[in-house]
Parts: sequence; C-alpha cells; structure tokens
Amino acid sequence: MPRPESNFPISTSIRRVLGVSFILFLALLLFLPRQSQEWLSHVGGPFARILEAPLHVVASIQNSIRHAWDHYIALQNVWEENQQLKQEIQRLQGEQNFLREQAIISTQFQQLLAYQQTTPMTTLPARIIGRNVSNWYRAMIINKGNLDGIHPEMGVITDAGVVGRVVRVNPTTAVVLLLSDPNVAITGMIQKSRDEGLVQGTPQGTIHMKYLPPLSPVQPGDKVVTSGLTEDFPRGLQIGRIQQVTKADTDLFQLGEIDPIVDFSKLEAVLVITSFQPALPSSLPKPIVSPSP
Amino acid sequence: MTIFLDILLCFGVVLAQATLSTILSAKGIYPDLCLILACVMGFYSGEYKGLMIGLTVGLFQDLFSPGGIGLNMILKGLAGALAGVTTHTFSTVTSPAILLVTFALSLGCGLASLVVAYPVVDAPILFHALSSKLLPQGLYNSLLTLGMFWLVNWIGPSLSMVHLGRGPR
Repeated sequence: MPRPESNFPISTSIRRVLGVSFILFLALLLFLPRQSQEWLSHVGGPFARILEAPLHVVASIQNSIRHAWDHYIALQNVWEENQQLKQEIQRLQGEQNFLREQAIISTQFQQLLAYQQTTPMTTLPARIIGRNVSNWYRAMIINKGNLDGIHPEMGVITDAGVVGRVVRVNPTTAVVLLLSDPNVAITGMIQKSRDEGLVQGTPQGTIHMKYLPPLSPVQPGDKVVTSGLTEDFPRGLQIGRIQQVTKADTDLFQLGEIDPIVDFSKLEAVLVITSFQPALPSSLPKPIVSPSP
Repeated sequence: MTIFLDILLCFGVVLAQATLSTILSAKGIYPDLCLILACVMGFYSGEYKGLMIGLTVGLFQDLFSPGGIGLNMILKGLAGALAGVTTHTFSTVTSPAILLVTFALSLGCGLASLVVAYPVVDAPILFHALSSKLLPQGLYNSLLTLGMFWLVNWIGPSLSMVHLGRGPR
C-alpha cells in the first residue's frame, strides 16, 4: 500500500537528529545549575496555577470523604466496640460483686468455723434464707432441717453469742425464733455478780432479764451470759450487756434491759447446737467443704 | 391445671413474704401478702375461690411460721371467704368497700394472731400492738389490696389461662 505523502516532508535523518537533540536537551536539563531549573519553574508557574485550583478541589473532596469515613462510618465500629466493652464491664462488675459477696460469706463462715472448732460442743452451720413469714413473731428460716439432724428446741448461736431457738423443723428448712421474741425465754446470768435471771423478749422487740435478785449489784454495762440451766444452751455463751436496771417499789425483783450482742437484722449465717459433746474429728471437715450449700 | 397454678401462686406469695418483707416494710410494718392474696381473690372471684386460696396460702405460711399449724390457714381462709361474701353485699365492688373490708379483716386476723402469739396479752401490750402494728398494718394491707385488686381487674381478662374465676360482680 503506497504511503501518503506529507505536506511538510522531513527526511528520516533529520527526524533522527531532532529526536536525539531533544533527548540530549532533556538530559542536559537535569545537569543544569539550580538557577536554570528555577527559571524553568517560573516558565511553568502559570500552568501550575491553572492546575492548582482543581487539585485543591479534588484534595478537599478527598479529605471530606476521609473525614466522613473516620467520624461517621468508622465510628460505627467504635460504637459496637463501646457496646461490647460496656457489656463486658457490666459482666465483670456483676462477677466482682458476686465474688465480693462470696468472700464476705466465706469470711463469716470461716469465723463461725473457727469458733465451731474451738467450742466444746457440736454445732452445724446454717445459712439464713428467709425472715418474718408471720407478722407476729420475730423469726427467721435457715437452710438446714430434719434431714440434717436439726430438731425443735435446739439452740442457735453465732460466734458472738446467742441468737434464738429452733421451733419448727421441715425436712430441709427450720424456723428459728429470735431471742427478742416474747415466746423465747432462756436462763441468763450476770457474768460479774453471778446473779441469775430469766432472759425473755418483749412485744416491743427489746430483751429483758427478769427475776434479778433485789439485792443484786447489777450495773448497766454488765455482761449477761447463759447460765446453762436450760437444755438448749451451755453455760457461758454471751447474750448481751445490761443497758438499764429498773425496780418499782411494788416489785419483788429487779428488771434489766439487755442490749443484745448479736444484731439480729444483719445475720446471714448461724450455728445450730446439735449436741453439748464435742464433735468427732471425722465429722469436723464436713462443714468446711460445703459451708453454703 | 387451675389448682396447680393456684398452688404455685400461693407458694410464690409465701416465698415473697419470706424474702421481700424487709423490702416492702414501711417503718417496720410488714404487709401480710398472704392476707392480701386471699382478699384479692375473694373480691375478684367470690367466696369459694377466696376460701380455697386463703386456706392454701395460710397452710404454706404456717409451715414457715413459728406458731402452730392451722392458725394462719383458718384465718386466711376465713378472710378470703368473707371478702368474697362482701361482693354479694355490695352491688359493685368499690374502692371504699375494699379498703373498709380489708382493714377490718386485717384487724381481725391480727388480733387473733396476737392472742395466740403472745404468752400474755394485757392492756399495755394490746395498746402497743394496736398503735404500732395492727392499725398501720391494716391500713397498709388495705391499700395494697386495693392496688392489687384494680391491677388484677385490669389485667385479669387477658389472663384467661390462669382462670382467676368468674370476675367481679
């Protein structure tokens, strides 16, 4: 096919010379001094200014998109992560609270256990699971019953002192009447003067020591302990301190008001006295293994 | 099925009485949830349902109470039945009627329990019990009963599976 003839015919050799010269010129530009390069940049300046505006626009759009991505779309992941972390915090707080509660209960049971091991009688640790089902009694429900060897009339204590007496027993639970109930009466003794009396609750919720000898030198602050005359409590368990002593002219005996050593409203675990005899060594570890079944 | 649900309800109320009473107490006054249940069922479903629920919840209460078995059963059963009987007396069960009847029933049950629970009931003890327990508790019980009654009245029709009874007259 014949080659079309150009309007400005240039020979092939001239084209080659021009091409080589252009390449040499470009190569020369690289080795020119800095001033010459600046002159070139001045020449290209207007072109750069023309390109500057669209470059700014493109760059700002790009920045806006990146900004939106970072702060809105990417925040979606942060929000999800935040929700997960909040749930994790809640779970850990619950776990921490549970462990703290377990630690407190464990401490209480350890105290009871230490007391149980030192005291010369057999006791069974129990946990309080309910209170005051009836409005007319001051009572609480424990988680040990007939199947655990609990019987009515057994004494209930803590490491601090006397709590009350078992009055009703179900197979796995028992009802304990507190010392502040009028239906509970145990024999007590002023520790210092050795005067005996009857410790009984009142309808108002206080505890009185009745039938104190009229010549007894009992004073407010004196300790009251069990005298051991009843079958449910051994001698020497602490009941409380005498708060006030009264005697009307017509009364034969003095009446002492007792501030109980045990705070009945804050009880969580107790010991039930199952026998006045010390426990056999083999039966001791049982409550250690399962203090709060 | 209905009997089973009734027993479950009674058991739940006794459980709540044993565990939530301290939360529900107002200045040392505990509401008698078992009495409230018996009365609400009596007012809502009539004397038979009130009697049965009262007997059941009273028996459960007796099992976890230091007093002799039977006292709460009889008292709560009577209270439920009497609450049901009053619905025959009034043409409609109004709020004042509920307040008045529950207050009277609470007072009666309280006095009977007091006589049985305390070894000696003399005038000072009776006065103390009236002023510090019986009257405030009666008021508390009647207010709670009224609230529970209207709640049951409101949601009762939608609880057809529970078979609360024939509903208010």
